[in-house]
Amino acid sequence: MLNSIHSENHSAKKSTFLAVLLSSLVSMLSLVGCTSKPAKPHAANTVKPAIHELSPAASLGRKIFFDPTLSASGRIACATCHDPAHAYGPPNALAAQIGGRNLDRQGARAVPSLRYTLLHVPLWHQERAASRMERFEELAKSDNPPTGGLGWDGRFNTPAAQAAFPLLNPDEMANVDAEHVAAAVRKAPYATEFRRVFGEYVLDDPQKTLAAVGTAVERFQFEDPSFYPFNSRFDQWLDGRINLTDAEQRGLALFNDPARGNCASCHLSQRGADGSHPIFTDFQFEALGVPRNPELKANQKAGYYDMGLCGPARSDQRGERGFCGMFRTPTLRNVATRGAFFHNGRFHSLHEALEFYVERDTNPEKWYGKGASGRVEKFDDIPKALRGNVDVVDEPLTRHPGQASAWNARDIDDIVAFLNTLTDADTKGSTTQELR
Amino acid sequence: MAVLMAAGIGVTIVACSDNGSSASQNASLVSGKVKHVWVITLENENYSTTFGASTPSPYLAKTLTSQGALLSGYYGTGHVSLDNYVSMLSGQPGTPQTVSDCTTYTDFKQTGTTFQDQLPVGTGCVYPSNVKTLPDQLKAKSLTWKGYMGDMGNDPARESATCGHPALNAVDLTQTAEAPSAAVPLGDQYATRHNPFMYFHSIIDSPDCQSNVVNLDSNLQNDLASISTTANFNFITPSLCDDGHDAPCVDGRPGGLVSADAFLQKWIPIITASPAYKADGLIIINFDESTYGSVVPSSTGVTITFNGGICCGQLPGPNLGSYPQTSTIAMGSAKYVLTYANYGGDNTGAVLLSPFIKPGTVTTTGYNHYSMLRSIEDIFGLDHIGYAQEPGVGTFGADVFTGL
Repeated sequence: MLNSIHSENHSAKKSTFLAVLLSSLVSMLSLVGCTSKPAKPHAANTVKPAIHELSPAASLGRKIFFDPTLSASGRIACATCHDPAHAYGPPNALAAQIGGRNLDRQGARAVPSLRYTLLHVPLWHQERAASRMERFEELAKSDNPPTGGLGWDGRFNTPAAQAAFPLLNPDEMANVDAEHVAAAVRKAPYATEFRRVFGEYVLDDPQKTLAAVGTAVERFQFEDPSFYPFNSRFDQWLDGRINLTDAEQRGLALFNDPARGNCASCHLSQRGADGSHPIFTDFQFEALGVPRNPELKANQKAGYYDMGLCGPARSDQRGERGFCGMFRTPTLRNVATRGAFFHNGRFHSLHEALEFYVERDTNPEKWYGKGASGRVEKFDDIPKALRGNVDVVDEPLTRHPGQASAWNARDIDDIVAFLNTLTDADTKGSTTQELR
Repeated sequence: MAVLMAAGIGVTIVACSDNGSSASQNASLVSGKVKHVWVITLENENYSTTFGASTPSPYLAKTLTSQGALLSGYYGTGHVSLDNYVSMLSGQPGTPQTVSDCTTYTDFKQTGTTFQDQLPVGTGCVYPSNVKTLPDQLKAKSLTWKGYMGDMGNDPARESATCGHPALNAVDLTQTAEAPSAAVPLGDQYATRHNPFMYFHSIIDSPDCQSNVVNLDSNLQNDLASISTTANFNFITPSLCDDGHDAPCVDGRPGGLVSADAFLQKWIPIITASPAYKADGLIIINFDESTYGSVVPSSTGVTITFNGGICCGQLPGPNLGSYPQTSTIAMGSAKYVLTYANYGGDNTGAVLLSPFIKPGTVTTTGYNHYSMLRSIEDIFGLDHIGYAQEPGVGTFGADVFTGL
């Protein structure tokens, strides 16, 4: 952790980087001639955003999002892994999805849901006090962790910037380069529409085409109400339309209790100041010490560790050893519809994922194997020297073997009951069991 | 964080000969002359940094001091932030919660009163309505006040654009700055803990709060257009970037004194050009605190010591334990030892501008936030409240108002 405070030059570069991205973001938002504004999920007591016409770019983005011809295999679209029927998350319980030119390559991480967060995720940053003394004080108190950015490691600041990654990733849509993407767009039925939105000659320039694809997909994700339905039972309860069951209410209380689950300290559950409904993440980074997942082929390589914020997929924070093992807090909306949990998809049931939280430290032998010494090797998916980064100061992660866990079996059932209330109406029935 | 200050709550009965003094005794050299005051509070800089030879804020340290008065002996009253702001507005000293910035916006639980019934004994953040503030005093005398808060309401889900504060007894989500997003393109770097008005029921429960505690950028320049629209007392809290708290800022700006200086370069000319300032104005630019101390690394961790220096006979108040206060925090394999050697806010310096101040004035007289409150009360002919009653805190005098 101490290394993170000795990075003035790095921070200076980062600030410039952020300024450029901010400028890009603002200009991007005004670049496209929108006939309507993005959906505003913040509107107080809004259950269903107003249905409105998508801008030309967003309408184009929808076609791109569902187009498998943009992949080298011709069989994978954005929507293949981000299935609208599953809250724009994966349709199966695989730890990571399968892609590549021949559909024989496994991704490195679990696919996140795209619902709710994209409009609100802030640019990646770590707030730092100007005062050196206060910076040390914040460090000691674990204040101000890194926050924001898209993806588990926050390395993309806008959906438009993120879109190029799966298009070119050999494990996903596997285009060799931007020209291959441009060639596919030229052949697509929406090529004329593409030129109309982004310029007559845009498809002559592969890099501009790739950027325009990102912009179009971003507009779709920002504007289409299907990304922000706010129609779960929890939303209906917030609006006073239904009552939660006793079990759901007990689960909500446990979820919010700082001394027990303490879930709401990261997965914010309170209404906004304007009455808006919560999206159940603070976008901050956290090192939970999730066990290594042998289902991931990448983990078969000795010495390979996915350390999230400090790499190896993300490269700009590799020098920040205090960031190693940190991944961005996901939204818990629709979490009960998922079949793979945490960044590495280590767990496949919500029940098990919750047990891990409260028994990680009271019963470590349940989650981790033994090392060469014969002792349980906690936090085995992080190099030994960096395991001190794992959170052991926030409830319920403070306990020790022999101590009671924060929740008993009934508590966990109640939490699961509550988390099921976060499932959107159109994803009902997509339970974890059905997905497996 | 509460653990850090859980050192027991001692009750100190303070003898004070100046209690209950009447308004007529509280005259300032500029009573009846200064009729409009602006306080701009910046964050966390040592006097030696701000006003040193290689200052990162030359506009403040050189340009403005050449136009007004440098109070080199000005001190904060505590650490970390909020307790300083509370003292400026009410004369109340720290509580275990306010010296930890009230990460949870809790009600003050009062168990008693001391210091001629001026200081409530207890714990918490939001003082009961019987605890009076400068705005209460001004209103009682038919004078006006306003608070201008940078970025407040930028993200309406985070806080309201007027009287923005968390729900009582809820976690304060404004403790961290919000970087720009698609939904909030400018980000939101408002911090409730830097808005002192929000810690008094006498203010937040009043309709005045909605009309008087407002967003800075949307209101200040318009309000300065005429004397009739300019409040007598104005408290300006820049955003976490503009007040120099962060560096770099979450929106990519440099922050620290560089951004604070840029903020002053924008706003000071606007204020000084206003009819109210030209007629009878006083601008006070201060810092909440400074952070003199030491950081000593070792093989097992780091020992961090804040000096907490005081001036002007500042008293600790009834709600903090004895000092020094030390706590040890284990963070992985590292161990942090945090020591607060004393309860003060150290030397920050302050700059005052006014038609009643001769350009280039410098005074080394010791002052602190209680002195500032007392001075403003004197300017407006008000009684002294809280520790502004302590005669030792002093009032800005002839050493400051050199242009009469």
